[in-house]
Amino acid sequence: MRYVKLTEEKLYDFLEKLKEYGKLYAPVKISDKFYDRKEIENVEDIAFEYVRTIMPAKKFFVPPKEKMFDIDIENGEYKENVENVEPFVLFGMHACEIVALRILDAIYMDEFADIYYASRRKAGIIIGLSCLPDEHCFCNLRRTDFVDIGFDLFLHELPDGYLIRVGSPKGHKIVDENPSLFTQVTQKDIDAFREFEEKRQKMFRCYGSFDNIRYLLELTMNDEFWDEEADKCLGCGNCTMTCPTCRCYDVQDIPSIDGKEAIRIRFWDSCQFRSHGLVAGGHNFRPTKKDRFLNRYVCKNSYFYPLGTSYCVGCGNCTYFCPAGIDFLGNLLKVRSVGEAEVKNG
Amino acid sequence: MRDKMKLKIGVHGLTSCYGCQLKMASIKELLEVVERFDIEYWYMASSKGEIKHVDVAFVEGSVSTAEDEKELKKIRENADILVAIGSCAIHGGVQGMLIGEEYKEIFEEIYGKYEMDFEGRIGEPIKNYVDVDYFLPGCPPEEEEVVYYLACFALGSYPEEKDYPVCSECRRNGYPCILIEKGEMCLGPLTVAGCNARCPSHNVACIGCRGPLPYNIAWFDSLAKTFKEKGFSKEDVRKRMEIFGKQYEKMDEMIEKVFEDEGGETDQE
Repeated sequence: MRYVKLTEEKLYDFLEKLKEYGKLYAPVKISDKFYDRKEIENVEDIAFEYVRTIMPAKKFFVPPKEKMFDIDIENGEYKENVENVEPFVLFGMHACEIVALRILDAIYMDEFADIYYASRRKAGIIIGLSCLPDEHCFCNLRRTDFVDIGFDLFLHELPDGYLIRVGSPKGHKIVDENPSLFTQVTQKDIDAFREFEEKRQKMFRCYGSFDNIRYLLELTMNDEFWDEEADKCLGCGNCTMTCPTCRCYDVQDIPSIDGKEAIRIRFWDSCQFRSHGLVAGGHNFRPTKKDRFLNRYVCKNSYFYPLGTSYCVGCGNCTYFCPAGIDFLGNLLKVRSVGEAEVKNG
Repeated sequence: MRDKMKLKIGVHGLTSCYGCQLKMASIKELLEVVERFDIEYWYMASSKGEIKHVDVAFVEGSVSTAEDEKELKKIRENADILVAIGSCAIHGGVQGMLIGEEYKEIFEEIYGKYEMDFEGRIGEPIKNYVDVDYFLPGCPPEEEEVVYYLACFALGSYPEEKDYPVCSECRRNGYPCILIEKGEMCLGPLTVAGCNARCPSHNVACIGCRGPLPYNIAWFDSLAKTFKEKGFSKEDVRKRMEIFGKQYEKMDEMIEKVFEDEGGETDQE
């Protein structure tokens, strides 16, 4: 892999330069507690200290709400609403977010590619950024704490700048076209990178393996504590909306008042909602709140074979953004039936 | 040819602020509505109409007088499809908050000793009196929802009802979660979506004006528990939740249960 260094003094020049490769989006602070990725006018507004954004990066590829078709009712025709997507740059993508996009890729761009998703994905440039975990992060257990592919450039924090891994032809192009921005990586930088990684590895809430968690979940579903946890649940759907890999959407046709045309829209749905499991004839696959509550646990902990990981990337969003304070990781640890302190020492 | 296919509609107001009808009267596509439908009755727009057979009747307001009940039953008898529109018709509205209290006492407290020429009652949702085919929630409903319902009926189709909360729209819009961030009593989680999370967009906690979610999925108990953990008393919680949710089945019980569960806190009043 190719490595270069970006010194602290050149950081804002680099970010400014990124705008030439596409519209720049990066995390900014939107309120006391929350961050979101917004279009950047002034690069000094970018928040580097952010841990998570209230809207996951999926919003750039699967928008919260979009028009799929224009339907001509009178002539029985429809047209797909695929726009020409201009290039854009997502700056500050953490490792778990990059893995999440790869999971979405595998789902949306398999044999029958979703043209809406694919057109946006092609236009996106991904600039990764190293991070330190908070108490909700468990990417280490999901093995998504470090990425080797899925980005164009990845910036690793150093005391005086960034060590950059170049991960794609687009990444090489950015480095090649701007030689004045970058310098060679020195031994001191390598040592600092190593130190950062070691420090980071010691900061996670717990350690061990989650490989068997799906099966333990299935086997413990009748445990009483699941009733208590489901009782707390507000059914608001915050967990799935803020999940970087939840991808369920609902589709609706909306006719115009004159009855001549209609549009077909799709928008983020949630398995926490009643109608998600409702099918023709009135049967519901998940009729109770507990069914819906557990569905997310099983879905997220299922093994995703194309990537060799689970659907959950361990970002902790579902816990951080749960108004009822339901601790996803805490519940999984209960299923694993090992106390947290014990795990930490082990 | 088309004229024969025009749907006949009626728009009716029982006891309410008439805001839902006003919303219907102010939609941008009103001229298309007049073109596409035969409006048989709409007192707000014309005093000439009479209640006769229609394909779809929209009813706003709660049943708060004996006359309301009589009128509602006549509307139902004459309508193939009956749509309850707005929080009053669906849940009894703000005036329905007093259910369980004596009407006469309340009346006297507000108006003093005064004889009215009608029989008043505490407002109730229209489903307590007649069968309702569709619910169009809102306080008032949004313009696009009104148009959507009308357009679906005109096509011979039916509208999909929302059974998901305001939070879904709040999250899709990326607004900061008020419940988490400010610890205020936001009722988004149990309130039916459709407003595009208007109040949270202005950093104001949802007051639940669109009414609790249908199908028994408004979790007053879980939300009361969350509020309780944030330090709110039973009275705080009840007062906020009952404004638009009082007549939701088991609302009181659900709140009571949460505050009974842990330690003998008793109602101060």
